[in-house]
Amino acid sequence: MLSEKQLKIVYGLIIYLLFVGVLCYAAFPEKSPDEPVRMMFKVAAGKVLFDHKAHTSELKYGLSCYDCHHHPMDDDSSLVACGDCHHTTEKADGLPENCLECHDADEVEDTEMLKRSDAFHDQCINCHQDFEAGPVACAACHVVL
Amino acid sequence: MNSQKKLIVSHAPFLHIGSGITERNLHIIYAALPALLLGGLFRFGIPAIGVVCLSVSTAMLWELLMNRAMKRPVSVGDGNAALIGLLLAMLLPATAPWWLVITGTFVAIVIGKQIFGGIGGNAFNPVALSVAILMVSWKDYFDFNGMLMNYDPDFIMAYPLATLKNFGVSGIEQYSISDFLLGRQSGGIGATFGIGLLLGGAYLIMRGFIRWEISIAYLAGVFVTALLFNLTDPTRYADPFFHIFTGYTLIGAFFLATEDSSSPVNFIPMLIYGAAGGLMTILIRNIGAYIDGTVLAILVINLINPLLDKIRPKAMGKVV
Repeated sequence: MLSEKQLKIVYGLIIYLLFVGVLCYAAFPEKSPDEPVRMMFKVAAGKVLFDHKAHTSELKYGLSCYDCHHHPMDDDSSLVACGDCHHTTEKADGLPENCLECHDADEVEDTEMLKRSDAFHDQCINCHQDFEAGPVACAACHVVL
Repeated sequence: MNSQKKLIVSHAPFLHIGSGITERNLHIIYAALPALLLGGLFRFGIPAIGVVCLSVSTAMLWELLMNRAMKRPVSVGDGNAALIGLLLAMLLPATAPWWLVITGTFVAIVIGKQIFGGIGGNAFNPVALSVAILMVSWKDYFDFNGMLMNYDPDFIMAYPLATLKNFGVSGIEQYSISDFLLGRQSGGIGATFGIGLLLGGAYLIMRGFIRWEISIAYLAGVFVTALLFNLTDPTRYADPFFHIFTGYTLIGAFFLATEDSSSPVNFIPMLIYGAAGGLMTILIRNIGAYIDGTVLAILVINLINPLLDKIRPKAMGKVV
């Protein structure tokens, strides 16, 4: 059994650790970086872990932002999340059905808004095939566990 | 008659050797520190400190609350609740939400330990039980690939066991064992730094706080089973060293499987207990539905522990 004094030290330790723990959670909430490192797309066919940094880093594939983030202007306005325009089958509320909802006809060539899954499949698989690098089979990206 | 004096007991007062529950728990905490500090807090930063502090403090608070509720002596000072909280934090991802940590310590202390009557009464390892329940209930929070997306170290941050499970042996060629030993891998806060865990385990074995038979038999079980799978089909099953240094294997072998009240006490039972744990771990990883089977394997061997304890030396003489 501990003495009164030792017990007080233990209680003090509990309060101190609780304080530090709450402080870490409250004062340093997890923030996503402006440019993602890795991204996980959770879809019915199995989740996909996408290494965003490997695609943009000069040490790896060195792609330009605008190789994927296409937009009429090819400027900072292109650098939005893909899901801001390309909607999923389930969630389309508030998202544009057509490019012309935001852009004039002379700004865009193709006015059809692809679903997110179609946009990703076209983008990823076509690029991987063009460069003969990277996975193209379903199970090479989509995983169940 | 045999005149040789084999056992001499003098009368009181006796001198206490100074060893006790508190000392034991403190030394296990010390042994966990290299893996926790160098492998976890240094690598994962402030979020990991938050998880560890919250886990240790709430584990002690649940213990205190249960002491009061059950009108038992205050046992929070013996360090066991702190140890359970620490080990639980070491298995969690650094970005675990606060409610997951508090639920985890509740399950470990209240359901895993106190409802069995407190220290020494638990049939299952409280930490393994808690992690298993959390993992089955909220599996996304134990998906280290999904949880540690914003960390950008200079090594491969894809969780090795998930890569193996999803992409087979061809996917794990990019990893190296030396990286695993140096803690350059994704995983739980305190489960990634191989050398730290080995040092902690060696210290506990040398000081006699854990039994080497359990740890070594567990690692041997993992090694032999993984080797047999690997020899059968090297294109599908990873080599044994990969399994030993990834996931929860090392922390399971030295810190979870060796927990007192849920492990056997005799030599042969300890060997069977450890080896069965290693076997189950690899069976779950290689042909089971989970990425890492360590905590589930430990719960299974906890379950067979009472049966194993029946293997014991026969009493001398005739017992009526």
